[in-house]
Amino acid sequence: MAISAATKAATDALAVNHAPTSVNAQEVHRWLQSFTWDFEKNRTKYPTKYKMANDTKEQFKLIAKEYARMESVKDERQFGSLQDVLARVDAAKRVHPKWNETMKVVSNFLEVGEYNAIAATGMLWDSATAPEQKNGYLAQTLDEIRHTNQCGYVNYYFAKNGQDPAGHNDARRTRTIGPLWKGMKRVFSDGFISGDAVECSINLQLVGEACFTNPLIVAVTEWAAANGDEITPTVFLSIETDELRHMANGYQTVVSIANDEAASKYLNTDLNNAFWTQQKYFTPVLGMAFEYGSHFKVEPWVKTWNRWVYEDWGGIWIGRLGKYGVESPASLRDAKKDAYWAHHDLFLLAYALWPTGFFRLTLPTAEEAEWFEANYPGWQENYGKIYDEWRARGCEDPNSGFIPLMWFIENNHPIYIDRVSQVPFCPSLCKGASTLRVHEWNGKMHSFSDDWGERMWLSEPERYECQNMFEQYEGRELSEVIAELHGVRSDGKTLIAQPHTSKDGKLWTLDDIKKLNCVFADPLKSIKAGDR
Amino acid sequence: MSKSSNSYGAGIMGKTGKAFHDEYFAEENQVVHESNEVVLVLKKSDEINVIVDEYLLGDHADDNKTLVIEDRSGYWWLKATGKIEVDCAEVAELLGKNFSVYDFLVDVSSTIGRAYTLGDTFTITSELMGLDTKLKDLQS
Repeated sequence: MAISAATKAATDALAVNHAPTSVNAQEVHRWLQSFTWDFEKNRTKYPTKYKMANDTKEQFKLIAKEYARMESVKDERQFGSLQDVLARVDAAKRVHPKWNETMKVVSNFLEVGEYNAIAATGMLWDSATAPEQKNGYLAQTLDEIRHTNQCGYVNYYFAKNGQDPAGHNDARRTRTIGPLWKGMKRVFSDGFISGDAVECSINLQLVGEACFTNPLIVAVTEWAAANGDEITPTVFLSIETDELRHMANGYQTVVSIANDEAASKYLNTDLNNAFWTQQKYFTPVLGMAFEYGSHFKVEPWVKTWNRWVYEDWGGIWIGRLGKYGVESPASLRDAKKDAYWAHHDLFLLAYALWPTGFFRLTLPTAEEAEWFEANYPGWQENYGKIYDEWRARGCEDPNSGFIPLMWFIENNHPIYIDRVSQVPFCPSLCKGASTLRVHEWNGKMHSFSDDWGERMWLSEPERYECQNMFEQYEGRELSEVIAELHGVRSDGKTLIAQPHTSKDGKLWTLDDIKKLNCVFADPLKSIKAGDR
Repeated sequence: MSKSSNSYGAGIMGKTGKAFHDEYFAEENQVVHESNEVVLVLKKSDEINVIVDEYLLGDHADDNKTLVIEDRSGYWWLKATGKIEVDCAEVAELLGKNFSVYDFLVDVSSTIGRAYTLGDTFTITSELMGLDTKLKDLQS
C-alpha cells in the first residue's frame, strides 16, 4: 500500500535518528529548571523569623518518576522479605522475649514521630521559597507517610506472627496512663510541628533525623539482629534509606538561611534548644531500650551515643559549620552526662512505675549486673543494690504485695515530672544531669530537671502546660486508673504491662494491684516555689 | 581489626570502664570538634554486596586509602576522610544490568556528610556543598 510523502519522510528520519525510549532522569531534572517557578513572593501560613534563600538546591536531583520507582523497589524488597522468607522461617517467634517487648516501645513511638513529620514537612513545603527545596520537602512528606505505615506494619507483624501481642496491638489506647507517651509527644509532636517553621526543621531534620535516627533506626538493627530479630532490620534499614534525603533537607535549610542576618542572632539558640529537646528524651529512652530491653548486648549505649551523636553528628555536621557561626551546643556537657547515666535513672523509674506501661520489663540478671558494672563503674552501688532489694521482696510475683513504687515512697525518694520534657526524674537518686527546681506560675506549681528546659519554659511558659500523671490522677487508686484507661488485656483483668518476661511467671491482674492500695499523689503539693 | 583511626572501634571507642569514662568526661571533650570524615551506611543487598566487595574494596581500593568498611550485621558501615564516590555506570558493568544512581539510593541507609548525585555518580563529601562549593546540575 502506498504511503504519503509525509509518513515516508517521518519513517526515513526515524530510521536514522531512533526515537528515544527513555530520558536520563537528571536531564529531566535539568529541563525542569527551565520552568523557573517563582515562589519568592508566595505567602505562607507558617512564617519564620529567618529569610530562606530562593536558590537552595535539592542534593539528589529527584524527579517524580525515579522517586516512585525507588520507593516501589524498596517496598517490594521489604514486604517480599517479610511475607516470604521471614514468614517461612517463623522469624517473629525467634525474637528474644525481652527484645519483643522493646519493639513495642520503639516501633509504636517511631510511628508517632513519622506521623507528625508528615505535618512538619508539609509545613516546610509551604514555608520554603526555593523550588528545589520545596521538591525535597515534598518527597519527604511522601516518605513520612510510607514510614508511618511501615512502623504500623512492624507492630501488626509482631502481633500477628509473634509472641505476646498485647502492646504491639493498639498501644495508643494506653497513652494517657504512664509518663513515656507524653515525653515522646513533646519530642516527636510538639518539637516537630509547633512554633517557627525553621526551628521545627532544626528539631526534625538537623537534630532528630541527622543525629538521632542513626542510633534509633540504624544502630537498633544491630541490637535487634543480636537478639534474634530480623524483622526490624528489614523494615528499619529501608526506612533509613529515605532519611539521608531528610538529613540533606535539614542541611539545606541551614544553607538557605546561612547568609540571613537572623541566623547570627537566633540559630545557635534554636540549635541548642532543639538538641536539648531531642536528647532529653531520646538519650535515656534509647539507652534503656537497648541495654535493659535486650538479652544479648552489642556495646554500651554510651559508646553508641558517643559515635553517632558526639563524634559524627557533632564533628561532621555541626563542627564543619563552625566557620558559618554555628557553635557547639551549650548543653552538650549535660547531654554527655545524660548519655552515661540517664538511661539507668530512667529504667529505675520505669520499673517502679511498670503497671502504667504497655510492655513488659525485666530486672537485670546477675550476669547483666556484671556487664553494667564493667561498663559503667559505680552502677552496682547506685542501681544494682536497689534491684537486689526489690527482687528479694518478690517484685515480680503478684503474691508478694509489692511493686517498687512503694519502695520510693517508703524511702522518701519523691518522683517528679519535668514540665518541659515530661520526663520523670528522682532528684535524690539520679546520676544524670537532673536536679530539681520549682516555679509557681498561673496558679500552678511546675517542676523542672535542668537549666535548658527551665530556660525554654521561662521564655514561653504557656507552651508547656501538659498535665502530668500525678496532677491528672491525684487522689485516685492505681488499678482504677489502669482499668479506666485500657491498660488491660482482652480478658479484661490481666495487665498489659508486667514486671517480667518469664513464661512460667504469674501475670499480674487488676485485683493484685488493687490490694496494694496505691494512690496517686502530686509531689508538688508538698513543696514551694524556689525549692531545689 | 583495622588499626585505622576511622575504624569502628578506634580511639576512645576501643577503651572500656574507667579508661573510657575518663576520656569521655575529659574537659576537652565537652565541646564538638570539627571532623573531616564522612560516614555512609549501606543496607546489605545483592547489588550493594557487589559494590562493597568488587568496587570499593576491589577496583577502587586505591581511590581513598582512608576508607574503612565494617560489617555491622544488616548493614555495611563505611567511614573515610574527605569523600567516598560511587560511579554507577561502572557498577552497572560489574552487575551486568542497568544500574542508575537512583538504583543505588534504594539501599543507601544513612549519610553523615554532604551527599549528592550528579549524572551517574553518587558522592558523599566533607565539603560544605551549597556553602563552600556550588552544587552542579547535569550539563548537556
